Amino acid sequence: MVAHSRTPLRAHRLRVLNAPLRVDVTLDAGGLPKVIEERSDPSGRPILFDPTPAAGAAAHTLSPAARGSSKRVAEVLETWRIDDEWWRAPISRRYVEVALEGGGHIVVFEDLTTGNWFLQMP
Amino acid sequence: MSNRLHRRPLESECAICVWIPLFPLRCEERRRPELVRRPAAVLLPEDIRRLWQVSPGGRRAGVRPGMTVSQAIGLCPPLALVEPDPVHYDEQFTRLLIALEDVSPVIEPAELGRVYVGADGLERLYGGPVRQLRAVSAAVRQSGGQAVEGTEGREGGMAVGGQAAEQSDRAHTYRPTVLPPHRLSAPPPFRLGWGRGTFVAWVAASRAKPNAPLIVKQGEEQRFIATQPVAVLPVSADTHHRLRQLGITTLGELAQLPEAALVSQFGREGRRAWQLAAGGVAAPVVGRERPEPITAAMDFPAPAADRAMLALAIRRLVDRALRHPRRSGWRVHVARARAALEQGASWITEVTLKDPSADRDRIAAPLTVRLEQSPPQGAVERLVVEFVAFARGTDELQLFARDAEAAARAGRRRALHTAAREIKTRLKRAMLYHVVEVQPWSRIPERRYALIDFEY
Repeated sequence: MVAHSRTPLRAHRLRVLNAPLRVDVTLDAGGLPKVIEERSDPSGRPILFDPTPAAGAAAHTLSPAARGSSKRVAEVLETWRIDDEWWRAPISRRYVEVALEGGGHIVVFEDLTTGNWFLQMP
Repeated sequence: MSNRLHRRPLESECAICVWIPLFPLRCEERRRPELVRRPAAVLLPEDIRRLWQVSPGGRRAGVRPGMTVSQAIGLCPPLALVEPDPVHYDEQFTRLLIALEDVSPVIEPAELGRVYVGADGLERLYGGPVRQLRAVSAAVRQSGGQAVEGTEGREGGMAVGGQAAEQSDRAHTYRPTVLPPHRLSAPPPFRLGWGRGTFVAWVAASRAKPNAPLIVKQGEEQRFIATQPVAVLPVSADTHHRLRQLGITTLGELAQLPEAALVSQFGREGRRAWQLAAGGVAAPVVGRERPEPITAAMDFPAPAADRAMLALAIRRLVDRALRHPRRSGWRVHVARARAALEQGASWITEVTLKDPSADRDRIAAPLTVRLEQSPPQGAVERLVVEFVAFARGTDELQLFARDAEAAARAGRRRALHTAAREIKTRLKRAMLYHVVEVQPWSRIPERRYALIDFEY
């Protein structure tokens, strides 16, 4: 049994690390990523993950000028799914690890509750 | 067991104080003569954003120790800033101590640049205080040192205080030699004081002119001390400040006050100050003996032949030997590793460190190299590491040598704190964060870790 440290949690001061970044994904016939394109807001900053569907829907209204560089997927390496926290705001994600043309591995996931795609370190 | 017997430390009532003010700065000037001609400052080892020591040229421009670099540059744009090199200062100071050991076996380093030499019994070797001081001067010069011109062969070159204490400052019959321009690269002279007890010797050295040592004759200490300013007392800055506010300027004035009154005002420091001012304390010079060899041994449960294992054992034994209390204050000069092998054979190797060290890796590395080059001819049953010769190190030297990494870490931490404070001041937001674990077991990657403001 470890005694409570009595240190206040101060959760409000915490900032998210490894927040998912919004990307646009073009899927192939099998439903797997074919082209991944970074998205940014009008000021050029990447769009962070917001689990609310409204924000996800709003992101779709970005102008084409706000789009970033695109990468073609050379190979899909692995896929897995996470379903969690069904007792509050359910989290349902489909992760895909891909190898890009020209080198590099990235992991993207589809938020199955909103249909948006995000880039994230696993 | 005889090695374990404690000996009484060497002590000497009569003391010679050797004082080289601004020792680190002077070391730098010796390495970089161009610093002599311009205002210069050495940065604080613990916080290189602040000044440690400032040359007289810098002081004339208003630069003071403890100032930040930006403040100092603002006051004196041509100020040359020198990054501290504590190991170099230690080495130079060690050379000085070793040279002084040739004059007297009783040497007590007080701080970087200040050392007491025990003078009891030196009259049989050298003669009176004047000749003793001459011997000390020669030793300091031999250490690499300082060009003290004029003291050689001039008995009249010494100032004698005490009989005319009020004239102690003017009693120098020998005028310091002004160095011609071509000698400016030579190091500055040191100051010497001779007296009964370390305090009197220190005050004498602090009042001495650079090339004119000051002697306080026995029996004259109190008259000499009474005229000295309270600034010479080894008390805190706060106590100095309060003494000034009370209008007490000399030790004589301080000694006239009741001891109890000073104790009630300043506590233990007040008592110490009163005793020193009244001449009631004559602390002797306490020399340090060279420690006996330090040994650390390890018995292997099964004979070991694996060199990697033996190398690891050597590192652990060096570590253990370094922690021996007798090693404190000394750096290892010669280390030896020996082993008892199976079937009664043995193995031994010895290394002499070019730069004596108190650092485990620096001592263990050459021993492990020897282990690779000429390994034991059999499995080792018992391994022993011995430190057999030592080089003297002052407390500061040990601080620098042993805790250099810790000091560097502390310095970096302070620098980080200062930088964080400046960023917050400029940007109105703390832009530095710690990474903290939140739910490291979580399957959701962004839940595992988070950022929190860097606190300072």
